[in-house]
Amino acid sequence: MADRSYLGEFELMILLAVIHLGDEAYGVPISRELEKHRGRGVSVGSVYAALERLEAKGLVSSSLGDPTPERGGKAKRFFQVTRGGLRQVNETRRVLTRLWQGLPELKGERP
Amino acid sequence: MTTVQPPAIAVWLLRHFTLGEANEALAGDLLEELRSGRSAGWYWRQVLAAISISWRRDAMNLSSAAVFAALWATVTPVWLLVVAHVEQKFQFHARIWPMEWPWSTVLDLGTLLAANLLYILAGIGLYLALDMSLRRDLHVALLLRGMKAGVPVMIALSAALIVLPMNFIAQGQPANQLAGIPVGSSIIAHMNPIEVARIPPQETWEAQFGEKPVITRPSPFAAISDRRAPAILVRLPFFLVILFALWRAKPQLGKRPDGFAQ
Repeated sequence: MADRSYLGEFELMILLAVIHLGDEAYGVPISRELEKHRGRGVSVGSVYAALERLEAKGLVSSSLGDPTPERGGKAKRFFQVTRGGLRQVNETRRVLTRLWQGLPELKGERP
Repeated sequence: MTTVQPPAIAVWLLRHFTLGEANEALAGDLLEELRSGRSAGWYWRQVLAAISISWRRDAMNLSSAAVFAALWATVTPVWLLVVAHVEQKFQFHARIWPMEWPWSTVLDLGTLLAANLLYILAGIGLYLALDMSLRRDLHVALLLRGMKAGVPVMIALSAALIVLPMNFIAQGQPANQLAGIPVGSSIIAHMNPIEVARIPPQETWEAQFGEKPVITRPSPFAAISDRRAPAILVRLPFFLVILFALWRAKPQLGKRPDGFAQ
């Protein structure tokens, strides 16, 4: 069951990255996706910590893939956004969009 | 893709100081990134960040274990005094297995380490008996693994605590009068109770070293209430090893950490 509380900024970014990546969403590509869009490095450990929080809230689910030699025989852990997660993302987008629409042009904002 | 190997110490730290379902997947991700061209420095930063995150996340979950570990560590000096008393009374060293140096010292330290590990095991057993809810969730294999990993930590910290204060106290004193000898202080009694038990008689001491220093052996209550920095440091390995073992055994998010099921 999804929590009614709103998502944190980092958690929302991770959920969006997982949605973007689809079936290829595991630690490495999620971290790279975040790095690409944020423009700075990210700790893979913090990504997993956030994913575990999201899983505990029922917003994502995970499954283990097959072990591969290039990973030292360790399996990938793939993540998928649940229905509750999708609802939460949409709800957050709706609220944020409304808030942004009500804002005048911000000082110092560059196009 | 190359077969670059990650720094062995960083791998060990990642394996033993982070916990959770993501542990093995995280280790695999970091290795994959390293072999894709990331530097060893990047790997180290990721490992240290993961450890920091893991400990912060678990700090609240482990509050009861931390309180227990602190209490058990506070009582540690009493255990050390018991060890010294038993050694003094029965003189195992001289009667059962007399040895020449350096084997006598090795035997002393081994006996002390075994006694200390027994004390730690007793503490963990007591905690499990008291905390029924934790015992239901506890993974014995992880607990044993945590204790195993705690042994080198215990040895290293104990060695550091014996050496550092001895050097501190030994300033300006002839070395032959201070090696392994409790110099009027409960601090050394805490650190090396077996040597305390073997304080030579007055005449023997005077014949060997001259004037005998004042030696005080603390009562159990005095030992527990000793709040001097070295006495607190003596308790540190006990606190850390108990906390470490319980932390390793604590399941995350109510699930078994699959990454450790090997």
